[in-house]
Amino acid sequence: MTKNSSRRWGGQVVLYGLLALALLWTLVPIAWMVLSSFKPPDDLLSTTPKVIFEPTFQHYQGLFMGANSLWGYVQNSLLAAGISTMISVALACLAGYGLARSHFRGKQHLSFWIISTRMAPIAAVIVPLYLIFRNLALLDSVVGLIIAYLTFNLPFAIWLMNAFFADLPPSLEEAAMVDGATRFQAFWRVALPLVTPGIVTTAILCLIFSWNDYVFARTFSGPESQTIPIAAAQLITQTGIDWGKLTAIGTVVVLPMILVGLAVRRWLVRGLTLGAVKGE
Amino acid sequence: MSAARTDKGRGLNRLLVPSFGVRMMLPALLLLASLSIFPFLFIVWMSFNEVSPIGGLSFEFVGLENWVNLFADPDVRSSWMISGIYFVATVGLEMILGIAIALLVHEIVWGKNLAISLLLMPMFIAPVIVGLLGRFLVDPTYGLYAWVLKTTDLYTQNILGSQGAALAAVILMDVWEWTPLITIIVLAGLSSMPQEIFEAAMVDGANYWQRLRHMVMPFISGVVIVALLIRSMDAIRFFDIIFITTNGGPADSTKIIPIRLYETAFRFFELGYAAAIGLGMLAFSILIANLFLRILARQGLAR
Repeated sequence: MTKNSSRRWGGQVVLYGLLALALLWTLVPIAWMVLSSFKPPDDLLSTTPKVIFEPTFQHYQGLFMGANSLWGYVQNSLLAAGISTMISVALACLAGYGLARSHFRGKQHLSFWIISTRMAPIAAVIVPLYLIFRNLALLDSVVGLIIAYLTFNLPFAIWLMNAFFADLPPSLEEAAMVDGATRFQAFWRVALPLVTPGIVTTAILCLIFSWNDYVFARTFSGPESQTIPIAAAQLITQTGIDWGKLTAIGTVVVLPMILVGLAVRRWLVRGLTLGAVKGE
Repeated sequence: MSAARTDKGRGLNRLLVPSFGVRMMLPALLLLASLSIFPFLFIVWMSFNEVSPIGGLSFEFVGLENWVNLFADPDVRSSWMISGIYFVATVGLEMILGIAIALLVHEIVWGKNLAISLLLMPMFIAPVIVGLLGRFLVDPTYGLYAWVLKTTDLYTQNILGSQGAALAAVILMDVWEWTPLITIIVLAGLSSMPQEIFEAAMVDGANYWQRLRHMVMPFISGVVIVALLIRSMDAIRFFDIIFITTNGGPADSTKIIPIRLYETAFRFFELGYAAAIGLGMLAFSILIANLFLRILARQGLAR
């Protein structure tokens, strides 16, 4: 470290310069969105960008009060994303454990089926689901959205929980069984508590994927079941776009997901690579 | 290990009572099967029919007509082309920038954790919001980025209204959102690199580029491939950004395959044809999923 410290110093300055560029590219849009959501309409619609202005809450007030309030959308988003996440994670804990602890012929094929379900293009999935939902009267219902989100959350959760359980040495559960625990008790009392970070990571990623969905909601939902991203898209009208409200909705959609996402940063790589790469 | 302990030795019971592992998997797999196998068979059947949802659902068997169209239709062919360009440009730029930023962040000493957290943020944003935000930034009258380009005289036209610029803009929006994914995966690979081999190389007088080429790159190549495959699978899956910004325009210049499919299904109501296009897309993602599994199995990355 000391030997070429002057060269090191120069190197670090260049590095921080480049880092500043990367941060600028990354953060300016987000900062601009949040900033704009507090701007008075006049400053928002100025042809030269305004950085100094008197902050106002009027866009947020407009969103949450009045006739077409955002609350209904928030509720639908929470229900659809929350319930599909809970179902996925609960079933995936069982299935992921079962898969990790059993060895049978064709396991590879089973894994392949699970992952290809997860990777199916949304545009392709939507076509048959639309007709099926139509026949089952599931269009314009939160239940329909929950089922639609299960199509990608369930295989994702199974695959990921399998990866987390596969990391646990089976010896702990075996010891519990020697002490008289049944196999299920060994799973429930020994294995499950040990993968808590895995469960939390899986749940948060499922929540983000479904909370962020637009295409399914756009196709399957109606006035009774629209989610927040739909409310955002509805602000684009023939007569113009209400950028104040739009940036406010954007902030409402984005901030909670950034917070929960960063909360599991340690396990994020594991989750996002479907268990293939261990995290930091 | 797979059979429940209580079943041990009882042959008949063993056949009739599913093993513990199977019982654990059953609820999830049954649900997954009903969510995937039935829709899959349905979409295959749809692709051989003319399906119209208007005034009650109607199916008319047309054999291979949709499939012939899939290859003969010049519009769809041009959409495959644009999809190809869009895919290579987005995933390519994301890989290059993602790896570069990861190498950069790996070298910095102070504030590394904070920098990573900040750099990751776009990844959590709903793609539809990324599209809307992009629209806001390049809006010809009020947009911040449009204003910057105008005052510096780099680009003065309506960005999303001009063919080449619109495609570039939607590509950059995708790059903005997904570069962090590559960064964080590659960073994980870099941080698992043993420091000793590095120091040994420094003693031998290897410079940064030599170390990068001969030591770092070979070491992280497995992780880089995983990042590439994961990103590729999702790049095929999502189309929200284009859907909300240009919806394929202007003059079809951003009409990637999923946009074409969606329009075929829900604007022109040719659901059978849309099903055939969908199966074409599915073939691609299955191919990539297959590669992913093979690489996992060979490299034993799933430690």
